[in-house]
This record gives sequence, structure tokens and C-alpha cells, in this order.
Amino acid sequence: MHIWVFCISLLWASSLLGQEEAPKLLEESTQDSIVSTPKTPLTLRVGVDLYRPVRSRIDDAFQGIEWAGDLLFRKNTFIAMEFGSIEVTKQTEQVNYTTLGNYLKLGLELNMYENWEGMNNHVTLGFRIARSSFSQTLNSYTILDRTPFWIGYDEPVQSGFSTGMRENLNAFWVEAVLGFKVQLFKNIYLGLGLRLHRLVNDTIPDNFENIYIPGFNRKTDENKFGASFNYTLSYSLPFRFHR
Amino acid sequence: MALQNNLKFRFFWVIFIFVLLSGCEQDDICISEVAETPELVILMIELESKSRKTPPGFLIRPIGTDSLLTNSRNDSLALPLKRNESNTQFEFIINQGQENENIDTLQFNYNRWDRFISSACGFSAHYIFKENPLTLLNPGSDWIKGVIILNDTVFNEKNAHLGILY
Repeated sequence: MHIWVFCISLLWASSLLGQEEAPKLLEESTQDSIVSTPKTPLTLRVGVDLYRPVRSRIDDAFQGIEWAGDLLFRKNTFIAMEFGSIEVTKQTEQVNYTTLGNYLKLGLELNMYENWEGMNNHVTLGFRIARSSFSQTLNSYTILDRTPFWIGYDEPVQSGFSTGMRENLNAFWVEAVLGFKVQLFKNIYLGLGLRLHRLVNDTIPDNFENIYIPGFNRKTDENKFGASFNYTLSYSLPFRFHR
Repeated sequence: MALQNNLKFRFFWVIFIFVLLSGCEQDDICISEVAETPELVILMIELESKSRKTPPGFLIRPIGTDSLLTNSRNDSLALPLKRNESNTQFEFIINQGQENENIDTLQFNYNRWDRFISSACGFSAHYIFKENPLTLLNPGSDWIKGVIILNDTVFNEKNAHLGILY
């Protein structure tokens, strides 16, 4: 609960960040009543998350990748999408499991940042609707017995009984996203996305639980919130669709 | 220029705090109230008086270990079952230490299934009795006469599972 309050205040504080006033241009052209504002050309940007591939290299238990893209279709408004694929093995005190699956997120983002002339950086607030399909494989687990009697029976169960794969699982959630995108070069952007998730529903695996969901990260028993981030390098495609 | 520096500075702090937050995972704890793997609970029933009564000089000795049983729950007894096998043997002794001491070696037969409790607690083992839950391994001058199945699954320790008749 307190984490949620903290995050909300963080999000609010960061939105203040986006309200930085750009200094006024020295010359302001007088408004001509006949001049119409130019339509924003559609601009498509595709990119890849850098954190997941790096982690895949250094962490044996993790394999993942995420592709991200957005489409500017109106002034300061983007349609955004992410697609990712994860395989991760985790060991807690009592269970060792492998989650394998992919996820898709779709949403809108609004740029709150006023750029100086010629620059194209963004501070965005947005949301996503996300869905994941995955499997959980329980590799080993321990049996709760505070007074074990027979010798050698505190060893984990590694085959048979409740170990094994649970397939065809799904999860559905919504996200609030705070994004930053900085234009490095003409068409190259570096972006950071900070996300808060709220789980809507998930299919519970047989005699187990979704401790981890691809795209959502850790699911806890008490509340349905989660967090994640991505760090993207994107390329703005050279052709722009003029309406 | 100063404006951009200021922006980058605040930018950094926001990221830093957020990465810190998203790295935090709650440590789930398995509280002691959570029921653990249950033991087999039996009642000793005297046939003549049809009452639940512990026989004189009664002792249960588990076969396969030197440890002694310590659990007793009022007039019923709790026996730990072997998890990695489908049977456990005990010596049921009456009039222990006396001339008319009689030992019946009993074997309980069951299948095990494990149930998920939580990611903090792990699993709990439960047992389902086979068609013949109890076999007598040393027939001849038996003092144990039979068994009543009160519950075919050892799911918890709230009630007795088997009644041993003598």
C-alpha cells in the first residue's frame, strides 16, 4: 500500500518535471488569421530494449528480449507498443521454477515536454494494456515439515509428484508509463520507460502459482501491483507519411 | 544549458529511485500458523468395551530408525509417515516389558500427493490410503484385530484417520 502511495507521488513529481518552461523565442511571428497550423506527419519509430539482452549475457538464468515502437499520429500523441519474450529460472527458498513466455503491450502516450526549436525530446505519460501467454515449469520444491522425523527427508523434491510444466497460461494487466526520450542524433533516440502495473487477471496454474509473469515481473500475494522499466534505443524511420 | 543540466540532474534521481523500487521484492515469510505436512492420527479402540482406550503397557516403535516417537495427542496418536516410500512400518507393543508382551508389526500403505501452500512455505505432503491401508507383517497370536477407516486421506491433523481395533 505504501509503495503505491510512494509511486504515485513520484509520478506526480516527475510530471512536474515535464512542465519546464521552454524559453520564449526572441522573435514571435504574428498570427495571421489565414495561416493554418501544419498537420503533424505520421512518424514511426522502432527500437529495442537494451537492458534485457545485456542481462541475458551476464545472467545465466535469464533470457529475454523486448522490441518497442511508437507512432506519432497527432501533435504530441503517440501510439506505443512493446513486444517481448522471456525465459527465466528463479530459485526462492522453497521452490525452483522456470517461466517461459512472451507479452504484448499496446497503449497511448502523451508528450508533456515543450521542445526548443529543432529539438525533439520527450517526457511522456501514458498507459498500456498488456497480455502475456506463458508456461510455468516447477523444477523442484521443498515440503513444509517443521518436525521431520525420518532421516534425510528435508531434501527437495526434484522429480515426479508436483514437479513439471503447466502450459497455456495467460495474464492480463494495465500499466501507467512515465517515459523519457532523448534525441541523440538525427534519427536515433534513447529512451527510458518507468512502469507501474496493475494485474487484472491471470490463469492460475494447477497446484502452483504465477510467481513471475513475463512483462509483469513478480506477482505478489497481497496486492496486484508490479513495476518494471525499459531502456530503449530507437530509430525513427526515414519516410514520413504525409496526410 | 543550465536548464538542460537541471533537467538531467532530476532525471537521474527519478531513475535511480525507480530502479531501486523495482528491484525491491517483498520477502514472503511462512508464518508458523500455516499447517505443515500432517502425520497419521490413529485411535486405539478396545473391541470389548467399544471405547477409545490405550491398552496397558502400550508402546509404538518405528521400524527403520532409532528415534522414539514423541507425539501424542490426548487419546489419539500421531505417526509420521515416510515420504519417499509408499509404506511405513511400526511395532505395536502391548504389555511392554512384562511376560505377556506381544508385538504386532503393522505396515501402513498409502500414496502421496503434494499440495502447493505458497511460494514462501512451499508444499505440503498428503497421503491417501491404498485399498488395504494396514497389513500385519507377523501373523499369529495377534492382539490387533482390525482397522476402521475414519478418513481415507491424511489431509490434516484435526481428526483421526484410522481406528486400530484390539
